[in-house]
Amino acid sequence: MPEEYTTPKKGLFTATVLSNRPAGECFYKMNLKFTDAGARAFAAFRPGQFVQVDASDAGLPAEDQIPPHLRDVCKRKVLLRRPFSFADVTAEEDRTTAELLYCVLGPASVRMTTLSNGDAISIVGPLGNGFSIPEGKKTALLVVGGMGAPPIRCLAKLLTAEHADIETVAFVGAQTRGALPFEGRLDEVSQNLGFCVPAFAKYGIPSVLATDDGSAGSQGLVTEYLVQWLDQHECPPKEAIVYACGPEAMLAAVARIAEKWSLDCQVSMERRMACGIGLCQSCAIECRLPDSNETIYKLCCQDGPVFDARDVIFER
Amino acid sequence: MTELIDISVDFAGVRLANPVLTASGTCGYADELADFMDMSALGGFITKSITLEPRRGNPTPRIVETDAGMLNAIGLANVGLERFVTEKLPVIETMSIPVFVNVAGTTIDEYVAVTERLTSQETIAGFELNISCPNVKKGGISFGTDPSQVVEITRAVKAACEEKVLIVKLTPAVTDISETARAAIEGGADALSLINTFTAMVIDTETRRPVLANRTGGLSGPAIKPIAVYLVNKVYREVAKEANIPILGLGGIRTATDAVEFVIAGASAVAVGTASFVEPDCAVRIVEGIKSYCAEHNITRLSDLVGSLDQVGPE
Repeated sequence: MPEEYTTPKKGLFTATVLSNRPAGECFYKMNLKFTDAGARAFAAFRPGQFVQVDASDAGLPAEDQIPPHLRDVCKRKVLLRRPFSFADVTAEEDRTTAELLYCVLGPASVRMTTLSNGDAISIVGPLGNGFSIPEGKKTALLVVGGMGAPPIRCLAKLLTAEHADIETVAFVGAQTRGALPFEGRLDEVSQNLGFCVPAFAKYGIPSVLATDDGSAGSQGLVTEYLVQWLDQHECPPKEAIVYACGPEAMLAAVARIAEKWSLDCQVSMERRMACGIGLCQSCAIECRLPDSNETIYKLCCQDGPVFDARDVIFER
Repeated sequence: MTELIDISVDFAGVRLANPVLTASGTCGYADELADFMDMSALGGFITKSITLEPRRGNPTPRIVETDAGMLNAIGLANVGLERFVTEKLPVIETMSIPVFVNVAGTTIDEYVAVTERLTSQETIAGFELNISCPNVKKGGISFGTDPSQVVEITRAVKAACEEKVLIVKLTPAVTDISETARAAIEGGADALSLINTFTAMVIDTETRRPVLANRTGGLSGPAIKPIAVYLVNKVYREVAKEANIPILGLGGIRTATDAVEFVIAGASAVAVGTASFVEPDCAVRIVEGIKSYCAEHNITRLSDLVGSLDQVGPE
């Protein structure tokens, strides 16, 4: 971490939509532009931090543009903001751009799909604590489950740019090919070379891809391939770290694997939240207290969303 | 023009620069919103509920969104009295606006203990008595729905808070809210705040279970505003006006027009709650909007607007 880095001031900003288009079967990719104070605040965005997006003003698409299984639920109005983690942030001289990769799964995200170039969108952020990179690490293992991809992609970019000495491997899992939050062709040739996910390949990061039904990559759970990799590679505990974002069951499995191999592990958690700034107290995560059998509730928004996997008591 | 308009409020003897406060449980302990707005631009601040001992709160999910509202079942999660005194009070002491501490408990003795400990703090303008929380098994709403208990607990806490202002927060979950209001005044309340949330449920149709771990939660947000306006007006007409007891109106306020509705209904001041989750600087925007309303309607003193509802037709 550069010395001049200080905790950025969070705030309420208006971003301008640069583009917004489908990415894969259930995802959209929205590029945003921040200027002035927003540009400065988001220039300091750390991978794993998040934002709260207000989609309540956006209109619904035409009925036939809404996925059939969402047509009923989309009739509901949106009141609260929705939390998202950016997949990419680029600070330029007078503006900061960000990629918001989001899954279309309810009334808010369906509304977000109607935003287009030039539209304004209200964003609160940057919020929470992102991933950290402890001294002395030589290997970083990135584990992605489905829509957990954005913060891990953002981290992959940082690792490449600022920690070129760290060897990084990505493990990407999803239920099906359609549930993969990545663009680009997953071609067989590069797959055989170990660079099957373009979003990581562009940073020179090899990846292992697994789907529950085998429709893309290998068949099985991503955690099985993490274990297989650990079995096959020399990985001194002090020199390796696991970063994970995905469904809580996957995070729990990754945490158990990291514990077994005595590896540091940071997980990016998710909870239903109203405000994202510590007011509503709704996003509680049960955590262990050091040297104690007692547990406490921490807040996903303020104390996380990235937690040390050893601290978290995962929900079943 | 707006500089000449007096929107200050004499709230049971406490001078508020304007009528807009933050609602308890929606704006943290003190300055959590300082990154988003100038806290000194608020009329006053109400802390989240403080209990004698720390409370973990309920398991998750603790919230669920509804159409035009949300349910919460936080379970009065808070740091407890001691940490409030050591960690939060020093921040409150730096605030230049009146601060009211919301007090909750499971027994009258707990309410009294919290109030006694804090009443000597010069920086605290007063207390808000939470006898209307729907999300805890003991205490909370069970006090607020029984008029005889309302008298008893209000009397006990009023004795403990000495010359400080005591606001009693009322639940809408009663047949006649005016009866609760009368009981609070009989017990010595200096002011009333209404309304707290409505107990409600959202069901997950896939699992056929309630979404909230607590099964039920309190409904807040724009959905409850018309009911809150009605109840403020009812209490104002039937009890508060004659007793000269000010009302803090709240429930679903997110625009200046909403706030003005409450004032016309009879509220001397208002509190912004759920809207702050969506728009953290909402309360400050409402202050400016109230000034504009007054300017446009040739109102030089906001107090002239309080309870000015034009009663047309049968009541």
